[in-house]
Amino acid sequence: MQPKKAPADPNMPKELGKPLAPGTQVTRVRFSPDGKMLAAACFDGKIRRWDLNAKDPTELPLIAGHNGWVTGLAFAGNALFSTDSWGRLTASDITAKEPKLWTLEAAHDGWARTVALAPVDSPIATCGKDGFVRIWDRANGKKINEFETKTDILSVCFKADGKSVFAGDLFGIVREFEVASGKVTRTLEAKELHRLERIQDVGGVKNLLLAGDGKTLFVAGAEPKTGGFVQCTPLLFAFDVASGKRLSQYKGANDTEGYVTDMVWHKDGFVAFTTSGQPGQGKFHFWKPGAATTFFSGGKLPNCHSVALSPDGTMIAVSATNANSSGNGRVKGAGGDYPENTSPIQLWTVPKV
Amino acid sequence: MPRNPLCTPTDHRVTRRRFLGSAAGAVGLSALANPLVAEELKKQRRQVLFVWLDGGMSQLESWDPKPNSPFGGPFRPIQTTVPGIQISELFPQCAKLMKHLAIVRSVSTQDNSHSAGVDRIQRGDPKNRGVTYPFLGSAVAKLVGPGDSGLPPYIWVKPMSGGFIYKDAGFLGPKYGALALGDGKPPENLLRPNALTAEEDDERNDLRKLLDKNYAAQRRTELTEANSHAYEMAAQLQKKIELFDLSKLPQKDQDRYGTHDLGRHMLLARRLLEAGVTFVKVTSYGWDTHGDHFNGAASLHPKFDRPFAAMIEDLADRGMLDNVLVIACAEFGRTPRINGHIGRDHWPEAWSVAMAGRGIKKGVVAGKTNDKGTDVANDPVDIGGLFHTWFRALGIDPTDVQYGNAGQPLPIAHEEMKAVKEVLA
Repeated sequence: MQPKKAPADPNMPKELGKPLAPGTQVTRVRFSPDGKMLAAACFDGKIRRWDLNAKDPTELPLIAGHNGWVTGLAFAGNALFSTDSWGRLTASDITAKEPKLWTLEAAHDGWARTVALAPVDSPIATCGKDGFVRIWDRANGKKINEFETKTDILSVCFKADGKSVFAGDLFGIVREFEVASGKVTRTLEAKELHRLERIQDVGGVKNLLLAGDGKTLFVAGAEPKTGGFVQCTPLLFAFDVASGKRLSQYKGANDTEGYVTDMVWHKDGFVAFTTSGQPGQGKFHFWKPGAATTFFSGGKLPNCHSVALSPDGTMIAVSATNANSSGNGRVKGAGGDYPENTSPIQLWTVPKV
Repeated sequence: MPRNPLCTPTDHRVTRRRFLGSAAGAVGLSALANPLVAEELKKQRRQVLFVWLDGGMSQLESWDPKPNSPFGGPFRPIQTTVPGIQISELFPQCAKLMKHLAIVRSVSTQDNSHSAGVDRIQRGDPKNRGVTYPFLGSAVAKLVGPGDSGLPPYIWVKPMSGGFIYKDAGFLGPKYGALALGDGKPPENLLRPNALTAEEDDERNDLRKLLDKNYAAQRRTELTEANSHAYEMAAQLQKKIELFDLSKLPQKDQDRYGTHDLGRHMLLARRLLEAGVTFVKVTSYGWDTHGDHFNGAASLHPKFDRPFAAMIEDLADRGMLDNVLVIACAEFGRTPRINGHIGRDHWPEAWSVAMAGRGIKKGVVAGKTNDKGTDVANDPVDIGGLFHTWFRALGIDPTDVQYGNAGQPLPIAHEEMKAVKEVLA
């Protein structure tokens, strides 16, 4: 007699259909503001999109034109802003057949790390390995201001009033820049996120996120233990925006879990985030600020690199990595070829919290 | 008294007692007092700088970029000073000096593990004849000799601890081992303490020599030789102790090379080469970037690029590139495939080695990989072929010169392999 299957826990996320298959690795996934489209920034310099209106997600024409990796995605209405690792910033109209609105080939000298939106009708911000945060007019790509730190800036987000930006760097420093003046108004320290291992600077502020009410800033990466292989334990700090004080933190259980690769704020008061993990590990998690641990950690697919939340808060998309993605020497695929790894994207329900 | 054929590890630790012995080995020092003779000897030098990037540097983020290909990664290629040759944007300084460099992009070796690969590469992977071949440093120390420097012929500048590393010498015997300078510093307690007068020190050394006779009577000949050799090296180094004080060098030099381990060690290497050391190996650890590889490369590669380029520039400015063969190598490259931890794993299948200087053609690339970087397109070069290349660059014909191992003739490089002619001047 077969054992009786336990009923699904309504408080846990449930998989929605089969994973989407972009056929390459993915750095970022994001939903459009109306929730009808999912976009993925890919290692092959392309943006893949899926129409979520249909019963099953349908792939839409891809957006080409980027070089290296597409690194950042941000939607604003019908406009999709994207950055790449060669320094390009592009605005695309997702409803148009020829989607390009404007593009800046050298928004940064090399690796543009990400793009962030200010509140409605305000500018966008990008940051890069070149040490700059740049503020752009989202309508035409005109540069409004720029700030230099001379350190690799990995993450950026606007403050709720749009008058300043937070920028997190390789060394665990978060600087707040005033958009109008370009002055640094304060710094927040999260130096646990950086380690000098031999001659390698490891870690940094991989992600910044503002809570929905704008009162809490989440600063995330990992506590690195080594360089090279990069053993590290996920580490996420919650800072009080008003005072700059640390409110709480989440630290993973061990140094095989990797760093926090992406995070989003859910209106029910929790952070959904993904972790990179050692090969075969890495999950997505839900964490309520102040809690000692996550209230959900899971996902069947390992090595997660991005998480997106649908606008109504009912669905998340997680990009992960195929199984057996690592190996020394010539690891062959089923057909005897030398396969590229891919990032399956799984959609999940979000439970009521 | 029974002879004890074995050494203990402490027998080979290089301490002040070990070092402050014989003043022998200063052959040629009087001749060097004549500037003309010294200049002529300098011109005849044959030297090697061997930069070892332990763990394996990615060929795709250095010498053989594959931009906008499935495995190309995030970085841009940049044009070098040689038309048609591009390298990674992480090597901007090397790009400026490409006119001095030669890159072999078709290296294909046998081991994808560190434990086997490090030895196999540095020993040249010859045919198995049941003997342990010497590392390249020991081989060059034997084949070229100590030259006119009055310094040990094989010095290894490395992070962490130092000492006398006799295992590098293989069947050549311990005296061709490496003198390792831990963190680029002379061995611990090398200098005579201030509280000790020179006369007192001489008396101590006389006593040591007496005791050493007993020591020698209990050891195998080659180990006794190695022991005496360590004393000689100590005495040699003590006479050149100023070499280790980098603080007196112009700040500009220190800035150009960098203040991190690899920068400081490369600057010391330059000083050792200037002083005439035959073979200087500089090791940098931590290149095994299985995880978060691209951020790792963004941090690590510039720390190789700057001091390596500064070294090439300085050797060229001093006219030393005619004498010094420069090699940048590792035990393998890194996989084209990017794993789930955004790392690259071990890849001996198709990787790159860079070289410059004595006997090497300037501004060339030899060999190529396919569009994705997953295979050597034609004529793969194993490490045996590179040993042929390097020996020939030093003026040693591997088809003519052999080692003698207790009467057993042994080829100095894999006899079924050949030099990469495209990079030989």
